[in-house]
Amino acid sequence: MTKNRRRNDSDDSAAATWRIDKRISSDPQEGVAVIRELLSHLQRENWNECEIFGIHLSMEEAVANAICHGNARDREKSIRIRLETSPDTFYAKITDEGGGFDPQSIPDPTAVENLERPCGRGLMLMRCYMDNVAYSPSGNSVELHKKRSPTPPSGNCEPGNPP
Amino acid sequence: MRKFDSIVVENQDGISVIHFVDDKIMDTKRIQLVNDELNSVAEENKTGGLLLNMENVRFLSSAAINKLIVLDKRVKSIGGQIRLSNLRPEVRDVFSITNLDRLFSIFDNSTEAMKSFATRKSPKSRDQE
Repeated sequence: MTKNRRRNDSDDSAAATWRIDKRISSDPQEGVAVIRELLSHLQRENWNECEIFGIHLSMEEAVANAICHGNARDREKSIRIRLETSPDTFYAKITDEGGGFDPQSIPDPTAVENLERPCGRGLMLMRCYMDNVAYSPSGNSVELHKKRSPTPPSGNCEPGNPP
Repeated sequence: MRKFDSIVVENQDGISVIHFVDDKIMDTKRIQLVNDELNSVAEENKTGGLLLNMENVRFLSSAAINKLIVLDKRVKSIGGQIRLSNLRPEVRDVFSITNLDRLFSIFDNSTEAMKSFATRKSPKSRDQE
């Protein structure tokens, strides 16, 4: 089997839609379990390694932000993770129980004066590897969208949406 | 060669060459363990060099990168030096995207990285750069 084999055009996209809707505690291990389930699914569906890398990184960052910043690691608070993939798209919505934040308030981590500041890179990486990253007005929910590449990439894994 | 839980360290000409055990550095506890063990090596080799050979690392999160930034700052503050080498293309991309290839000295392989330590140490070599 070719690793990057794509589905036939005749596949029924509605039937191929895969969903997860889970509520987890603010325990990183529970987040890891959900992400593993997602990655296993993407591998089964032959998404290419570069796309899986970008989705993996974005999910790690989004879930870590929800646990650490949103819920402040409070195990009494939960996180809702909704995932949906079709043969050609990836979608995730991660919602925490925190007070939210203003994404515009995060300083640009690539600015020379901020390079040594250990913060702000998670959000930036999500924006680079996803086609769209949208926060809710209250800032406690983030949606990630990515379209699947029409052809497997050759060579290095270049992010699809560099800053 | 010294084996820690998350890293393996070998001494080459006064440089601590560090290899990572995990191929994915993302779990909060493992990130903290890596951080503690790297800091322990940095403490022992205060004014020497640390070469982080990252050939085994296939994935690292921004939380892991943040620990490296703090380590880099600390090592530089006590007169030491850090180099990174053998990054996989996808990991190298993460450093490029975040502009951290301006903060860290990144080399394609450990031989080049080791040479850079020698260059830095030798005034004569520095003049030739």
